[in-house]
Amino acid sequence: MQEHEVRTKLRDWIAKRAKKPLTAGFNDETPVLELGILSSLDIVEFVLFIENLRGDEVDADNIQPEAFTNISTLYSAFFERT
Amino acid sequence: MPPELISIFGTPFYEALSDKQRKRLSLFEIGNFFSLVLQGERPLVQGLVHRLYLKSSSCEVTEYLHHFVDEENKHMVMFGEFCNRYLGKVYPEKKIALARDYSKGEEEVAFFCKVMVVEELGDYYNVLIDRDERVDPLVRQINRVHHVDEARHLAFGRVHLAELCERHVPQWSPETLAGFRAWLAEYLRASWGDYYNPTMYRDAGLADSYDVRQMALNHPACAAQRARASAKLVKYFVKTGLLAEEPRL
Repeated sequence: MQEHEVRTKLRDWIAKRAKKPLTAGFNDETPVLELGILSSLDIVEFVLFIENLRGDEVDADNIQPEAFTNISTLYSAFFERT
Repeated sequence: MPPELISIFGTPFYEALSDKQRKRLSLFEIGNFFSLVLQGERPLVQGLVHRLYLKSSSCEVTEYLHHFVDEENKHMVMFGEFCNRYLGKVYPEKKIALARDYSKGEEEVAFFCKVMVVEELGDYYNVLIDRDERVDPLVRQINRVHHVDEARHLAFGRVHLAELCERHVPQWSPETLAGFRAWLAEYLRASWGDYYNPTMYRDAGLADSYDVRQMALNHPACAAQRARASAKLVKYFVKTGLLAEEPRL
């Protein structure tokens, strides 16, 4: 899956689960937890969605809160292969 | 696991499975159940140890917390041993904790609400599995042992949480109380999400395991099971005022 497709799917998931309507300025750098768009209780569901998207489990022992800052950090943490 | 307690029971997807597939799923369902109770008990023990000998914990409470921690530790050994022996692993949890600000007493009330959620939901399953003669004797025995200990923990938890509520909740602002109620309803929903584990479905040989989870979360038969299993817990939370009404689960 191409990067832009992944980012679009992450954005769509966030929009669907958002606790408040996304503003017109929402982009890949918008902090989703800090602004209360998602809460910590959304993380498990989000991780399962990410696992399904990338076709592989994430290392549960190494899930860092910082990875959930915004769409760009999510992409870097879970989809960029080193 | 009794068929009626299997997470996708009552759905066309379950009906389409062969007996062999159902039995295999049953093994992984019990492993997932034991794993999620174990994973729920880890932060519980951490929180209980933190509360030992605090000025705000009376001598009687501290004395009981020692027993609580001891028994929870033994439960984790028991569940871990079963999962490692029969599944080759314990299913990990995928939660993260984020720092946040609390009103006075809110963190304490939230902690004991989490204790109640993991223990009450677990106990609902323990009792039904223990009574079911179709279930393997070892699995029944594990559920019986857990239920006997949990009955004491739950009795303590109900009284202690009610006392915490009486002490703290009247001091909270309407906004704090509304925020807490919204969190608790969301926490209950998130806790139920752990019962529909895509990795567990995949290990049991079911294709499209993430879709199976989404199907179960949205299927009325599964929602009815969640409501049945949560009824006692929800009634308690409504009675103590921690929930305003029965949440959609």
